[in-house]
Amino acid sequence: MTMLTIDNLHAEIDGKPILKGLTLQVNAGEIHAIMGPNGAGKSTLGYVLGGRPGYEVTEGSVTFDGEDLLDKEPHERAAAGVFLGFQYPVEIPGVSNVQFLRESLNAQRAVRGEKPLSGAEFLKVARAQADALGLQQDMLKRPVNVGFSGGEKKRNEMVQMGIIDPKFAILDETDSGLDIDALRVVGDGINRIMRRPDKAVLLITHYQRLLDYVRPDRVHVLADGRITRSGGAELAHQLEREGYAEVAA
Amino acid sequence: MSVLDLPSNREEAWRWADLGGIAAAAALAPVARSEAQFLDLPGAKLLFVDGELDQGASELHRVSVGAIAPGDHPLGRRAARGWTLRLDARAVADPVQIVHVATGAENHLGAAIELGDDSVAQVIEGFVGAGWSNRSTSVRLGRGARLSRAVRLTQAAGFVSLRDEIVLGEAASFVGTVLAAGDQGARVDAALTLAGEGGYAEFGGALLTRDRLKQECAVRVRHAEPNGQSHQLWRAVAAGQSQASLAAAVEVARHAQKTDGEQSLRGLLLDRTATVNLKPELEIFADDVKCAHGATVGELDARALFYMQSRGIPAARARALLTHAFVADALDRIADETVRAAFAADAAAWLERAL
Repeated sequence: MTMLTIDNLHAEIDGKPILKGLTLQVNAGEIHAIMGPNGAGKSTLGYVLGGRPGYEVTEGSVTFDGEDLLDKEPHERAAAGVFLGFQYPVEIPGVSNVQFLRESLNAQRAVRGEKPLSGAEFLKVARAQADALGLQQDMLKRPVNVGFSGGEKKRNEMVQMGIIDPKFAILDETDSGLDIDALRVVGDGINRIMRRPDKAVLLITHYQRLLDYVRPDRVHVLADGRITRSGGAELAHQLEREGYAEVAA
Repeated sequence: MSVLDLPSNREEAWRWADLGGIAAAAALAPVARSEAQFLDLPGAKLLFVDGELDQGASELHRVSVGAIAPGDHPLGRRAARGWTLRLDARAVADPVQIVHVATGAENHLGAAIELGDDSVAQVIEGFVGAGWSNRSTSVRLGRGARLSRAVRLTQAAGFVSLRDEIVLGEAASFVGTVLAAGDQGARVDAALTLAGEGGYAEFGGALLTRDRLKQECAVRVRHAEPNGQSHQLWRAVAAGQSQASLAAAVEVARHAQKTDGEQSLRGLLLDRTATVNLKPELEIFADDVKCAHGATVGELDARALFYMQSRGIPAARARALLTHAFVADALDRIADETVRAAFAADAAAWLERAL
């Protein structure tokens, strides 16, 4: 079943075109990797799907679960089941991880007409996810990402994903800044949380190494604002061997 | 004394004072008396309506009400009556709560707090209603005495002016917090003097303004003796076309060595039409001192807003959470949990209205 359909998407920042006719379809149960050189528009794709202000869609459409995704506010996209994992998770002084995540989860539940989780119920879920991802419990009480190392921030993104339990995750360079051990933990987290018949993932990455842990069903090359090539998992290895210039051309 | 018998804005210490706002508040028509609410704490509870004690609604305990020597400050000299809290050495008093209700026009009230050596007191004041409420408070702390004072301004209209003159003896401690979270203008005018060695003073808070209101603090801390510590932590949040101004000065006398003074002034603009003025000021005549100061004005972090929205938090709620986090550290200094929670709730209610 089709979960996400991107059709001829054009988007610009400050009048500068970045995405230039991107078309892509992701089915439930699939993990897709988007690879490409720096400046190809990988992160822009993530932000456009997430609804970040300043990223203007000038043409094309995005349909998620049969609904127009671009018509929704960012928080409504989250409630619809879309999760955006950030390349650079933001520090929020004065707001604790626990408060932030409980607010997030309960705001999403409210939109879906579900009852809010109590503090105790929420803590149980949060602790389980933190344990599974090797994030120390006391980091849940600390302000969001403040004083976290690069690796801890990325683990924290995965803890958030585990707690929110989305239908569809767009993970923007989740592997950057991770050492080998952390890469395995994060890879296992993605598999555990998202590898389900009713879920899907768009994995945006520059390097092939995360794909050793999270095996993609499809690999796409994004160059100059559009998908120039698609293939199976073996395409990632070919890219690693031969480089983007050769393969994407 | 006429309402406008006040210094002009040309005087540096009155540069951001809203003299027109005071005059307008003093001319406010009578309004119905609003409900006075005391926190669930033991101790004295005083209700003043337009500066007059409501005997029936008050429990004085150790507090007395009567004539008070007016000072010579342009605001403070207007009050000839007021309340007094006097503690003997080593006394520990239950909290003193005071609610000031204004029903229009102007009212003036003084206060004197005199704590003997090693005594401990806590004072909590609140302002509700409408009109110009003018207060003059003089505080004298004996050796090792400790006072914490928390003041919240939640009038629906008008103006509140506070003039505080605080003198700390040797090793005395004063922790003062002011929260302006109502729809009134405000001037927090204070002079703190660390007159004994090793005094500790914290004075700070949060001014939350919206519409066309003007609120300001003008605080001067004077270190007259060595080994003193002072912290001034102020936060200003301005929405609409309002103006919030923070002027905080530290003065270190020539022989007040080993002084540790800190100033943190931060402003947050919720709208581009609002104004925040910051003026940190240091006058240091001693050579072995530590005086840290920081002053910044900005808007809410757009990246943090989007990050929160991407997790499902609606934009208005995300703004409220970030703004609350911005003022939280100024209110976290209130040690009493009941008081701190009440102040945090006032700030949250303001955000609810303003965002």
